[in-house]
Amino acid sequence: MTKPAVVLIGGDKGGVGKTTVARTLLDYFARQQLRVRAFDTEVPRGTLKRFHPDVTDVVDINHVPDQMRIFDTVNSTDATVSLIDVRAGLLSPTLHALRNIGFIEAAKKGEITFVLFHILGPSIASLDEIVDTAAYLGDAKYFMVKNFINNTYFFEWDEATHAAYFKRIPGAVGITIPKLVEMAAEQVDLASVPFATFIANQKQSGAPASYSFVLRGYVRHWLETISAEYDRVNLTDILEAKESSRPPIGRPRPIIKIAES
Amino acid sequence: MSDKTTPLYVVCSPCRRVGKTLVSRLLTEFYVVNDRPVAAFDLADEGPQLADYLPDFTTIADISETRGQMAFFDRLIADDVGVRIIDLDRRVFKNFFTVVHEIRFFEEARHRSIEPLILFIIDPDPKSAKAYAVLRHQLAQVSLLPVRNQIETAAIPYGDAPSKVNMAPTSLDIPLLDFPLRALMDRQSFSFSRFWRGSPADLPASLTPELSRWVERIFFQFRVLERLLGCA
Repeated sequence: MTKPAVVLIGGDKGGVGKTTVARTLLDYFARQQLRVRAFDTEVPRGTLKRFHPDVTDVVDINHVPDQMRIFDTVNSTDATVSLIDVRAGLLSPTLHALRNIGFIEAAKKGEITFVLFHILGPSIASLDEIVDTAAYLGDAKYFMVKNFINNTYFFEWDEATHAAYFKRIPGAVGITIPKLVEMAAEQVDLASVPFATFIANQKQSGAPASYSFVLRGYVRHWLETISAEYDRVNLTDILEAKESSRPPIGRPRPIIKIAES
Repeated sequence: MSDKTTPLYVVCSPCRRVGKTLVSRLLTEFYVVNDRPVAAFDLADEGPQLADYLPDFTTIADISETRGQMAFFDRLIADDVGVRIIDLDRRVFKNFFTVVHEIRFFEEARHRSIEPLILFIIDPDPKSAKAYAVLRHQLAQVSLLPVRNQIETAAIPYGDAPSKVNMAPTSLDIPLLDFPLRALMDRQSFSFSRFWRGSPADLPASLTPELSRWVERIFFQFRVLERLLGCA
């Protein structure tokens, strides 16, 4: 039986494209026919939910009942994958809380698949974030995502420095998200649909739309490039890992309040 | 969407002064002569341009920015355009085919019963052979036809043409033409379709048969091409 998987997408900096990466992952999972549920921590309105309303709930990750909604149901939900788009500034506190509730320990025991997509900004501060994050990782699959979506050039990064940080986390894998043509990104944003729906020229309701063929072409090319990255790191295999013979984990230990944002 | 397949011609070369605009003019006027709806798109930024010769049938396009690409490519696949002819300037050659490849333009065109044909004007310049080979590789599913324009590239005997070119099953041949007629048709006021329908007054009678034969030979090849594309 496939183990339940939790995919966390976060980064302590704002504006590095966390939700964009979360959207590409939801499109990728849909294409791979993985059952998925998503949690959007941009309370109260939500951002991810605007694009993927059918599978997304808006939650306050600081709020204990919402934490229970996510982590107490990891085993019982029909979804194979629980994806959490962690808003800016909450990655470290969330990881801290996951450690305290025994979630990271459960991942270490092989009861849960835990995958972290750490979206990095262009500054050296992002590298420091890696060190902070590493302390919580346990046996999680750790992907460091260089996201070029927002005209990011990673100009401050010295490759040797980068490599030195990279080495501190054995098994960490880099993923590159290329830049999408700005006008295409804007139009998908305006349309408020998943990238795959935009490519298929459909509205959220499934009704035909009239998006530009050129922009759809750019989005398709971009999404295919990203899917190839996810294939390269064997993401589907990681998420479809079989459960060990251990009994399923019980309820996690009491939830501890995450630091205020 | 129309059930009938319509052709889309891309007249191109990475080199200058090889006769792209001449071939585009001839193609456009071939359809004008046959009373077929035709739209020409001028992607040139140096004159004389196709739009200078055929302003009534030509739209000037700029694909350097996304907005211009949207206006151009979205228009190209619209249902009501008729035969499409693109006069592709050497300076936008790479960008055009990069965008086409990335957005899978030719696949979408075919989906809409538009059959693309790339008319590649061969030239002794090595970059011509290189570009031809790249197109042949990247756009393997699209018809790519070498054009031998003897007016501008008479220096290339058939045997000296790039080897890749020789692999093509056929080619389009623009025959040589005497200088007075070349000078005549270079005038922006000259129209092949008007000539075809009745010789202009300023054309010496002695030259009319030669130009008629020249045009007929080219138009005959266009008719064959249409049949090969399944658009006749």
